Amino acid sequence: MYRVAVDVGGTFTDVVLQNESTGNIIGTKTPSTPSDQSIGLMKGIQKICEENDIELSQIQSIMHGTTVATNAVLEGKGAKVGLITTEGFEQILHVARSWTPAPISAWMGFIKPDPLADLIYTRGAKERIDAKGGVLTELDEDQVRSEIKSLYEEGIESLTVSLLNSYANPTHEQRIREIAEEIDPNILVSISYDILPEFREYERTLTTVMNSYVRPPMQRYLTNIQNKLEDLKLNSRLSIVRSDGGLMSIPAAASLPVHTMLSGPSGGVTAAAMIGSQTGNRNVISFDMGGTSTDVSLTYDGTPRVSRETKVGVFPVKSPSLEVVSIGAGGGSIAHVPPTGALRVGPQSAGSEPGPASYGSGGEDPTVTDANVVLGYLPPSLVGGEMKLDVEAAEKAVQRVAEKLDTDIYHAAQGIYDIVNENMYGATRVVSVEKGYDPREFSLLALGGAGPLHANALGKLTGSFPVILPPTPGVLSALGFLQSDIRNEYSRTYIHKLSNLDRENLIAALNDLYLDCHSWLEQEKVEEDQRLIRFEVDVRYFRQGHEIPIKVTKEELDNVGVSILAERFSSIHEQIYGFKMEVEVELVNIRAIAIGKVASPSIPMVGEGEVDASGAIIDHEHKAFFNGEFKSTPIYERNLLKPNNKIIGPAIISQKDTTTLVLPGFTAAIDKNLNILIEEGTSL
Amino acid sequence: MKNIDTITVDIIENALKNIKEEMDVTLFRSAMSPVIREQHDCFPMITDASGQMVVGNFGSHVPEVVNQFPEGIHKGDVIFVSDPYSCGGSISHVNDWMVILPIFSGEELVGYSSMFGHVMDVGGPVPSSMPVTATSIYGEGVRFPPVKLFEKGQLNESIIRIIKANTRTPMENYSDLMAIVASCRTAEKRVQELCERFGIDTYFGALEALLERTNTMMRELITNFLPTEPVSFEDYIDDDGLGNGPFKMKLTIWREGDHAYFDWTGTDKQSPGPINYYLSEPMFKMFIGSFLISVFDPAINFNDGFYDVLHIESPEGTLMRPVEPAALGCRTHALSRLFDVLSGALSINTPENSPAAGYGTSPYFIYSGYDQDGRYFNLMEVMYGGLPGRPIGDGLDGHSWWPAFVNIPTEYLETYYPLRVEYYRTGKDSGGAGMNRGGNCNEKLYTCLAKGTISIHDDRSTLQPWGINGGEPGGSSSKTLIRKDGTRQDLDSKVDNIEVEPGDQILFITGGSGGWGDPLERKPEQVCMDVKRELVSLEKAKESYGVVFDPSTLEIQREETVELRNQMRRQRGNLEAFNFGNRADVVKV
Repeated sequence: MYRVAVDVGGTFTDVVLQNESTGNIIGTKTPSTPSDQSIGLMKGIQKICEENDIELSQIQSIMHGTTVATNAVLEGKGAKVGLITTEGFEQILHVARSWTPAPISAWMGFIKPDPLADLIYTRGAKERIDAKGGVLTELDEDQVRSEIKSLYEEGIESLTVSLLNSYANPTHEQRIREIAEEIDPNILVSISYDILPEFREYERTLTTVMNSYVRPPMQRYLTNIQNKLEDLKLNSRLSIVRSDGGLMSIPAAASLPVHTMLSGPSGGVTAAAMIGSQTGNRNVISFDMGGTSTDVSLTYDGTPRVSRETKVGVFPVKSPSLEVVSIGAGGGSIAHVPPTGALRVGPQSAGSEPGPASYGSGGEDPTVTDANVVLGYLPPSLVGGEMKLDVEAAEKAVQRVAEKLDTDIYHAAQGIYDIVNENMYGATRVVSVEKGYDPREFSLLALGGAGPLHANALGKLTGSFPVILPPTPGVLSALGFLQSDIRNEYSRTYIHKLSNLDRENLIAALNDLYLDCHSWLEQEKVEEDQRLIRFEVDVRYFRQGHEIPIKVTKEELDNVGVSILAERFSSIHEQIYGFKMEVEVELVNIRAIAIGKVASPSIPMVGEGEVDASGAIIDHEHKAFFNGEFKSTPIYERNLLKPNNKIIGPAIISQKDTTTLVLPGFTAAIDKNLNILIEEGTSL
Repeated sequence: MKNIDTITVDIIENALKNIKEEMDVTLFRSAMSPVIREQHDCFPMITDASGQMVVGNFGSHVPEVVNQFPEGIHKGDVIFVSDPYSCGGSISHVNDWMVILPIFSGEELVGYSSMFGHVMDVGGPVPSSMPVTATSIYGEGVRFPPVKLFEKGQLNESIIRIIKANTRTPMENYSDLMAIVASCRTAEKRVQELCERFGIDTYFGALEALLERTNTMMRELITNFLPTEPVSFEDYIDDDGLGNGPFKMKLTIWREGDHAYFDWTGTDKQSPGPINYYLSEPMFKMFIGSFLISVFDPAINFNDGFYDVLHIESPEGTLMRPVEPAALGCRTHALSRLFDVLSGALSINTPENSPAAGYGTSPYFIYSGYDQDGRYFNLMEVMYGGLPGRPIGDGLDGHSWWPAFVNIPTEYLETYYPLRVEYYRTGKDSGGAGMNRGGNCNEKLYTCLAKGTISIHDDRSTLQPWGINGGEPGGSSSKTLIRKDGTRQDLDSKVDNIEVEPGDQILFITGGSGGWGDPLERKPEQVCMDVKRELVSLEKAKESYGVVFDPSTLEIQREETVELRNQMRRQRGNLEAFNFGNRADVVKV
């Protein structure tokens, strides 16, 4: 039997097939179909089956990363959302916490996107609950009924209910949902308590509204897929990949689509963690460099960091996701020289149209890719590449920057290369040093088409070795999906000072969340022995701004008591911020995480070769520019490389979907899984 | 200057920007004061070895401060200062606590990192320590001249004891101070890494080049955009809370070659009350730089490099340069109004390029007392208002003029303080009409749940925020105390120690903002959306914008609208570049 993972990207849909008994993996690509992603999805599955002589019925399960929800937000194509708030707080999304950007005076140029629920379709309900969950004003059912009716008459497609302090008492939200469903059972209702029962009303409301906004398009999409699966009489289990790298079923994805906003990027992070572990490096910083942006993330001790707030466009969404820092630096980033005479790279990008000058589609601006061409890092005729690069156009483009900098094109190109690396270095610091991790204790893993050209140089900056280049950096997200487990989280706000916290009360509250997890795993049909439920408690100093999630077990609470939370918090606080305080500690949120283990067969190894890699050289004469001069830089064909091969830099390793650069002073070794590992030094 | 390639300069510039961000993050995550943590009232800086700012958000004061230590500055020293008068006004009231930390690479001094933040309370007669009635700085709480908080790495415990004895919030202040130190240490570590990576000479060379770059850029901006003939602009602060006022702020600007002159002559003399703003020259230069850059070229990174091309005149004894020991606690009115004046002066020849005036201050709501459990509480909330109509579009309703500030969630307030928020919205019609509408104010109604005291800081309650380029002025601010029995009492915009009982309410309305451009040029469809969103009333739509609606369907009545607009155009005569609203009635010449 087989498993298939599908990652739908902007241009291509990547499909990876794994044989469940041998663990063998095969990948393919098919063009994406943006108007209905499910067409590309099904084509990709059919294609990989045909290519490998497999019956569709042999596919046991499908793991699918989707951008339907994200695209709906970024392109403004979600549902017409109605919002019910507590009366007096209707303008919550309009005011959006009053934020304007820095520095002083920058508000003058600040363009603010419209909220996902227009003020016109936002209505106040007469009701009020206090911070402890007590009812101050009973819900006026007639009033809210007539408001909902009027919203529905105006063509609302999806309704959100988010009331003040509902995290402490959801009864009014739940009652309003009942009323709405009485009026029209076909209109989907999302209530904030279900999506995010945590305090801070703006973030909770926004996240719930976003869920409403993407729910109808997501449901249409999922229905399309299900119909197509039925047409093909496929009985495979289809799972949707969540932003936190977990899997969920179609019904779950249909009601909680906001948890899929970072579905795609999470695959790359999961894959990076997996490949890191495979090479014996459980601490990995991974960077996924594409055409317009680079995503950076961090895996510590084999586990990627989960963040509970992420940004979709400018909107801060509170939904668990694998932490990814994104910066506007990619192969298509444009270099320019403002009047100060500084050399800047990005954030403007040539995109895919017209693309870098060297693509020969009319682009004239010098991009990072063009700099790589000029430097000889990106050979003009790529082995297996479908495209020939126009060196002359690249030189002409870089010349424009060189003139302004009063230097030659090679130094200008080197400058562009160095600056984009420095920008990415900044992003790696955000995920590492700013969170209390020393990048020198990590290895660096490159994904995406452009990553391997910059990986060695970036590793030099961060001091993260080895630098790891997996065999197929282009389809790594899909590979990551194959490693995913079924996952969900249940949390609630639970504000208690540690000094007057009753252990039994806390255990009971955790137990409620445990039961939620349990019944969810039931629904997802996870076998008993594959279930795992973990607890986390968000802790901070009394009235401090940021909470730190602390892992804890019921046994520890039983044996040691709640003091264990303060101890763990203090030591983590000291690790991250360099100091701790004798201040009271309080709990803010508690959370249970449900995991259903999915068995994933390991990837098989390949036969061994020798140290000498000269058999893989396809161009002995090539030269590239390093530190002010051109050096002999042979080009190797990656497919010809074997385990144990070693290559002393400078060298270029070329393959269908990417090009790897090994710098002078570094050595690349091929491991048993065909990863390239780059280390400092030049001894074989 | 050491010959150093421009790309290395760019790399070091990027690295310094990253370090500045990291300083902020470190502080936000570990500070206790909500004003720092939630509202980001704090400012980082990194300087070169001579104390010139190379990256940061405020003007450098380092040379002036370090010179006050005859024994010199050593490795492991950490300087702490909260006295505006001993650092040239770099911090402008005693609530701002500043830390300066020398950075050594090996044995060589390579620069300073510095950060200041607004701490919750520094003693004095009123919680939060910004008494509205202070008449000298001695009445505003404890003041620290530059002292060494750490001496060669050793914490000076006496200072901590003095701090704790002089504030209502000892634990919070202590941890905020440590968080500020931690943030400066972060910068220290990163700058040391940079010096190791590039070598000290290259690092210094890059800093010099960065300063030079900004200098070149600023000369170009000055030449292109500032007038050779002096232009003046005036705006006013309503009062000083002691019954004096309004206070005039007057700025005159011109350029000679590529040097620019900013002259505050004509500004009223200093106030007996605490609204004086000790304007630090480097700080003002930074403001000017920041403003010009935002208007004309937001990509520029600014630093101290351009300071020699700006020349500031601020006569001693005036509102902008008070003489010690003048009270300074409530200086945010003048500090924000300064931007309205600067913007106004720069736009006299080209009003179409500049925004109108906004809520123009930093309104505070301060509530303290003992809650139901007998625990002391002290809430200081920064409020926001209307951001002005701008050349690129409408002003934002109820937003922060201060960069990256955010409001405090109602659920946070209700969890930690004995109060309830009854409504929190923006004020219909308070944004001045314009082709680009001025932003509306904020309206927030609090119910107090514990006995305690209230203080209020606000301005623009008398004089309206002006409109520009044909736009109308915005609404004024107001405060009302509603007693439990229903009696209403208007409060002044600057009051202290109003005693409240459980059930009493405060209605806090901030200032709106002026509109930009002719309101009759605003698309009727835009006015229609404003009406449907309840941001503009039907009456205002008709009276200011000349747009007529069917009141039951809110459909635009096209013909009536065209007719009304034509009639209004005929009747009103020429539009003024600036519309000061009620100024002529309030200000007696």
